Amino acid sequence: MPKLRLQFLLFWIWLAVATNGFAVSVKPHEVRDLHYGEILFHFYQEDYFTAITHLLVAQKQTNLQHHQQESELLLGGLQLSYGMLDQAEARFNRLLDEDTDPELRNRVWFYLAKIAYQRSRHEQAFNTLQKIGKPKDKKVRAELALLNANIHMEMGKDAEAAEILKNASAPEGWEEFLRINRGIALLRAGDIKEGQATLDKLGKKRSDNEELRALRDRANLGLGYELLRKGEAEQARKYLNRVRLQGPFMQAALLGAGWADTERGDYEQALTPWLALLKLSSHDAPVQEAHLAVPYAFTKIGDNKRSNYFYKQALDFFDQEQQYLGDAIQAAHSGALVSLLSHRDSDPGSSGGWLNEHPTLEDVPSGRYLVDVLSGHKFQESLKDYRDLGYLKQLLHTWLDNISVYYDMVDARRLAYEKRAPLVRERLNKQEAASFQQRWQEYNTRIQDDRRSGDPLKLATGKEKQQWTTLQQMQEKLSSLPAEPRFKKMQDKARWLQGVLYWQIQSDYKSRLWEAEKQIKELGNLISETTRNNQHVTDALSDVKMGFNGFDTRIETLRGRIQALLPRIDIAREDASGNLQQLALEELEIRRQRLASYRLQARYALARSYDQVSQKHEGEEQQ
Amino acid sequence: MKALHRGILAGLLLWPLLLAAESKAPAESGIREDVQTLKQQVLELNRDLFLLEEELLFPSNTQISVFLSMNVGEFFQLDSVKIKIDGKEVADYLYTQREIDALVRGGVQRIHIGNLRTGEHELVAFFIGKGPKGRDYKRGTTMTINKGLGPKYVELKIVDQTKNYQPEFEVKEW
Repeated sequence: MPKLRLQFLLFWIWLAVATNGFAVSVKPHEVRDLHYGEILFHFYQEDYFTAITHLLVAQKQTNLQHHQQESELLLGGLQLSYGMLDQAEARFNRLLDEDTDPELRNRVWFYLAKIAYQRSRHEQAFNTLQKIGKPKDKKVRAELALLNANIHMEMGKDAEAAEILKNASAPEGWEEFLRINRGIALLRAGDIKEGQATLDKLGKKRSDNEELRALRDRANLGLGYELLRKGEAEQARKYLNRVRLQGPFMQAALLGAGWADTERGDYEQALTPWLALLKLSSHDAPVQEAHLAVPYAFTKIGDNKRSNYFYKQALDFFDQEQQYLGDAIQAAHSGALVSLLSHRDSDPGSSGGWLNEHPTLEDVPSGRYLVDVLSGHKFQESLKDYRDLGYLKQLLHTWLDNISVYYDMVDARRLAYEKRAPLVRERLNKQEAASFQQRWQEYNTRIQDDRRSGDPLKLATGKEKQQWTTLQQMQEKLSSLPAEPRFKKMQDKARWLQGVLYWQIQSDYKSRLWEAEKQIKELGNLISETTRNNQHVTDALSDVKMGFNGFDTRIETLRGRIQALLPRIDIAREDASGNLQQLALEELEIRRQRLASYRLQARYALARSYDQVSQKHEGEEQQ
Repeated sequence: MKALHRGILAGLLLWPLLLAAESKAPAESGIREDVQTLKQQVLELNRDLFLLEEELLFPSNTQISVFLSMNVGEFFQLDSVKIKIDGKEVADYLYTQREIDALVRGGVQRIHIGNLRTGEHELVAFFIGKGPKGRDYKRGTTMTINKGLGPKYVELKIVDQTKNYQPEFEVKEW
């Protein structure tokens, strides 16, 4: 029996540690691909669904070149966190080959061991763990030690587990986890003295951290109950006294404290914690038990009047609780539980997952019993599946709406295309680019000819050409006139001017040729670009049309996939809710039986008390 | 009466036993396997839908994505980031503590995805937060980005300046 309780403690400690552990192990030294950083952004927020989606998208778009192996490991870890153990295990196994980096291989083995442990394949988990080399990181070493110890304890090797934890060095923030696990392992191994010493040290530790304070409470409570079971009431009371009255274990501690007092024969003292429990507006098991314990203590101190009063009060309380419980069972049968869970699915921004807050049940009869049942971690796995499926359903419905919009969007683009395409085609048919290309070719040939001819006049400007022609004509006209000196002088002047003009043109020839060749080159580039663009537009005209058809096909295929998955999700969700309902009813039935047993004990005790009183009266009368 | 004591004590000890029973790992069942398979299929479908959406809404030739990352000391607490492209506000994001923690641990947020024509564009970004002693702290940056063919990625990084340990923007085009 104590072993089971210890297992319970271990389970929660393990869960608490495991969540952080993975984050520690995958943190990269440097983000070298933005998309990898984006995946981490979602992962660090524990939004595993979004992180996996982004990772798959980035892989498809080959945006993770610098983090290929890491991203595979991360994907396995994300799948593990998202409850996809089969897929995570298969991925981790694929990562193990001869080329795998040794450090990465260690991490892969670690997660494989973890999966095997979660699946209760302890032998396999143990064997996998043996393959891991000694990691450099202190936190990873501590994480490994914890997993190793848990596996050993599951295999019944408690002393070995305690030894593993004893030798593990604890980095900051891990000491308490290692210590409580070691304490529990020692108690399980029967080393009460050493286990007590270990947990005692932890139980006295001061902390500002609520998590560690709760851990300290747990250590004190566990040790207190263990000592109580061993008959060491004095010691048990000492540890139970250390549990905070504001903490989550207050009720259990008060109940245990009362029993520790009765074990020492101090029934009056026992009434203090038990009466404190009765004042709580709680309906938890310790309070129910206190309703029976208080009149028992009064009987023991000989106060039958108060004892009877509290027994009657207990009977009323149990009757009322039975009524609530009956209503809760009926509500669970009628599907109110499922409606409550559906209500929680509407949380904005939630992608399913664990139920972090206790649901409120204004409209559900005896809702608090259902809340109690739901809060139990026995239901959390099934509840997580149910909530995850709810999110997937919601998501697919959103996509179904969006996909219709995308279909319309593609349609609108197709219409716009059909409207514009003929105009574009008409323009393309004019072969403007080809015409430009041809003209450029002509210019280019001319410039090449000019260069070859070396005639500067070929590069004369329009004005210069005009001046040249005028001077040429002038000379021809003058030569036809009589040979008079004044005409001769004019002819010389015209020839001189032509010479000056030629000189000017020739002196600029090189720069003009360079400029002309430069311009023809630039023009050539522009025309080539235009030709290319022209080809792009021509290709696009047919590609776009094919693209529309491609999108149509893709949209239809995706729509079909959504529609095929939705009914399967509904069925799985129904199964999950049926499973939850079954678990809830089983749990409520256990509570009902316990309550019936308490009630029977109260009635029996009350009847005995009445018998005693009446026998006493009869005795007195006879005297 | 002793019988009652024993009964109650049994009840007391039953209490942790009930809790302990809850610690058992849930049995592998057909439901769990179905759920895993469904999750896998929905994830693959979600990826394909995501790709379709991106190709339709933000084709690679016009796509621009702005990412935000942080590398700052513990004295700066980010509140919000605002981004304008060509004078038009495209993002005004208020951060939750969870998001800030994710950024501090090395996560990178895609704060904006949109479309831009090829050519030069002006990007203006501001971040607002609390500096040492809770004082308001605001910094901004302006840059010209050149959008070519293919998707454009811009990273805005809030980093501590080595000279004064005060956070500033560092911009990197990928």
